Amino acid sequence: MCFLGFGSYFCYDNPAALQTQVQADMKVNTAQFMALYAWYSWPNVVLCFFGGFLIDRVFGIRLGTVIFSIFVCVGQVIFAVGALINAFWLMEAGRFVFGIGGESLAVAQNTYAVSWFKGKELNLVFGLQLSMARIGSTVNMNIMGWVYSRVQHLLGHTGHSALGLTLMIGGTTCLFSLACALILAYLDKRAEKLLCKEQGKTGEVIKLTDVKDFSLSLWLIFVICVCYYAAVFPFIGLGKVFFIEKFKFSSQEASAINSIVYIISAPLSPVFGLLVDKVGKNIIWVLCAVVTTLASHIMLAFTFWNPWVAMCLLGVAYSLLACALWPMVAFVVPEHQLGTAYGFMQSIQNLGLAIIAIAAGMILDTRGYLFLEVFFSACVCLSLIAVVMLYFVNHLTGGDLNWSAKKREKMQKVTATEAEEQERLRRQNEDDLAKLLPKADDFSLRNRYLSKLGAQVLPDNYSSYLSTMAHRSMLK
Amino acid sequence: MWRLLLLAAAAGGVRVGAPGALLVATRSPRSALRLDWRRLLSPAPAGAVWIEPRDSVLHASAVVFTKVFESREAGGAAAELFYPPYDLSRFSWGSVNGTLNRTALTAEFRGGPAGEPGGGFANGSLAFRVTAYEADGRDGALPRLLHTANSSKVEFVLAGVAPRGNGSRFVLEVATVEEAGAARRLRSARSIDDEYTPTIFETLSLAAEAPGAVLSFLQWKATAYGSRSPRREDGIRCRAHELHAANCSLPPSAIVRGYFGDRPAGACSVSALNISFGGEDGDVYQEKRYLSWSALLGFGQPPADSFSPLVVAIVAVALGTPAALLLLGGLAVLLARRRRYSEYEPIN
Repeated sequence: MCFLGFGSYFCYDNPAALQTQVQADMKVNTAQFMALYAWYSWPNVVLCFFGGFLIDRVFGIRLGTVIFSIFVCVGQVIFAVGALINAFWLMEAGRFVFGIGGESLAVAQNTYAVSWFKGKELNLVFGLQLSMARIGSTVNMNIMGWVYSRVQHLLGHTGHSALGLTLMIGGTTCLFSLACALILAYLDKRAEKLLCKEQGKTGEVIKLTDVKDFSLSLWLIFVICVCYYAAVFPFIGLGKVFFIEKFKFSSQEASAINSIVYIISAPLSPVFGLLVDKVGKNIIWVLCAVVTTLASHIMLAFTFWNPWVAMCLLGVAYSLLACALWPMVAFVVPEHQLGTAYGFMQSIQNLGLAIIAIAAGMILDTRGYLFLEVFFSACVCLSLIAVVMLYFVNHLTGGDLNWSAKKREKMQKVTATEAEEQERLRRQNEDDLAKLLPKADDFSLRNRYLSKLGAQVLPDNYSSYLSTMAHRSMLK
Repeated sequence: MWRLLLLAAAAGGVRVGAPGALLVATRSPRSALRLDWRRLLSPAPAGAVWIEPRDSVLHASAVVFTKVFESREAGGAAAELFYPPYDLSRFSWGSVNGTLNRTALTAEFRGGPAGEPGGGFANGSLAFRVTAYEADGRDGALPRLLHTANSSKVEFVLAGVAPRGNGSRFVLEVATVEEAGAARRLRSARSIDDEYTPTIFETLSLAAEAPGAVLSFLQWKATAYGSRSPRREDGIRCRAHELHAANCSLPPSAIVRGYFGDRPAGACSVSALNISFGGEDGDVYQEKRYLSWSALLGFGQPPADSFSPLVVAIVAVALGTPAALLLLGGLAVLLARRRRYSEYEPIN
């Protein structure tokens, strides 16, 4: 289950790991290069809403996972073939197909986890899945450059065929993920038979009309999400060449530092998750994360300080934000709208990523890295503005986003006891009312009719009147 | 103080040696440049160029482009394989009349190896394009060098010259001449600002320095471009190697010899520098067969880039707005709290 997402995350960042090679071999500028990321995000603008529906109603979890894995494989193969035959449009199409499978596969993976581990070590499983995904990204960053140089050595020249072959080799991880999907399907079917377990469901209900009911706090959370991730993922996409050109790193060092964000988030995500669960005060954590990211981007833009510091800070901030931001949605949205809210959040996140990826590429081509970093800093500042506004809106409307965990528990207990009390009172009132009102069920209706007739309704031992009557007849 | 700048070339088939520039700074606005053309074009040109009046000269230096090397990686332990160099003092140059543009203040000196129609220069040429400036400003085209009225741009252009191997690197040899009292230094300035030359963070300058002041400079960004209307992706890597002091005689340029030739030996110092273009990704030239490298020649302190107003504005707004919001929000919360408390009346 953990390796299910490995191939998808490994291949997602292939362009970033091979940026110089892609740009040199396919002769594209940075804006066109970033289109590879944009094409991954475009299908997910719409698919986020339908992923749950497809898994629950149309395909079922087993078939759905296999289908999405096939999309991931086929997408990566088309991507590689596009490089082999020197057709950039085919590479973009490959990324599009890859995108259709990639995000939905993550939904399927989560559904499997819930189905198998709910009520047990679910948090641990989520943590492990995330760690595996991050390991996949890290491995990709660090070895794809080396794979390319070996392929180049083998073929004797650089060029699009070397790139294509390298991407094909990267695609074998997708085959591995497909194998995992098939094995999982078999195991799940077996479990269904042996344990009489139902097929897992996402349980998501998406109703797009609920969007008009979203509160201001929720919209602010959306803004934070879009602006923050738009300043992190495209930056990582362009990061390797940034470190080579500005800080004069070697190719391997640049790949290593680019992957540090993922390496750090792998162990820190569960730790921060625990921290935020125990302490609460989500908005403060989000604020810290956003400010840290801003500091990191400003350091990278305006100084030549060792970028390891800035990138480690970015990794820490990124993990913290993920743990503090996504649960906030559950606090502001009623449960029946939760599926829609998360789907919408992911949808606009992908939309933002797609647009900003291309914008970042264009900015780099025309204005250079300083302007690009200033642009990313401005995005983070926008996110910061949204956090500050969220804090005040929450504070002034008496919302509960920024409660500490203790307060939240207390409030939950209070509401629980109140609810119990109310329930008890209600039941008591109902009983009292029922005693006063005549019952309308069959037994009491028959009794009332028969007693009107004077017939014997109850057995002898229940009626003292009748026993008295029996005595009287004996006296005659 | 008037400053005069002279660029040399040749007309027709007469050779005046390698192309170079003579920079002379004088203290009088009425000084004039004098040339003895007959002596200049003779084999002994010493004393053919002078400034009148002679004592108004503050300092003089020269920059000469002497050779163009071509090399490629030999692979293995050997560093590099050099092909026979193109000696620019043996080139013949075309007429400048057709390329002189008086409104844009540009001129182009185009040439090729004399008497060798074949070879790499069969369909190509080597050119030096010169632009003079009347005021401060910035070029429109990459690398968008910032210039002052005291400077001019020299562009080294290789167009259509066939490389003699796969992945060739071209190396331009630059020689400089100073009078005694000035020393030439190669300075590399790394700046965080790459707004005007995207992805290039290094500016190199070859400055003639006297104690306390920079007398003249040759400044360039560490990049060359592979296209007539260059964009970021046409960048060709440009690297400057060490500056060496040359102990030999003056470079083979008639104008330099004409001005400095009649000095006693040891009164001038000569240094040389190699600037290489291309590298691991030398394919840019291979494909486009065009190389253009721009440098600024001028007097005084070399100009330095600063942030554009747009960047400053964006940073100010981006950092200022959250701070302002925090302040406003804090005030709003305080006021709301104050208002709530003020509704209570004191008991006694």
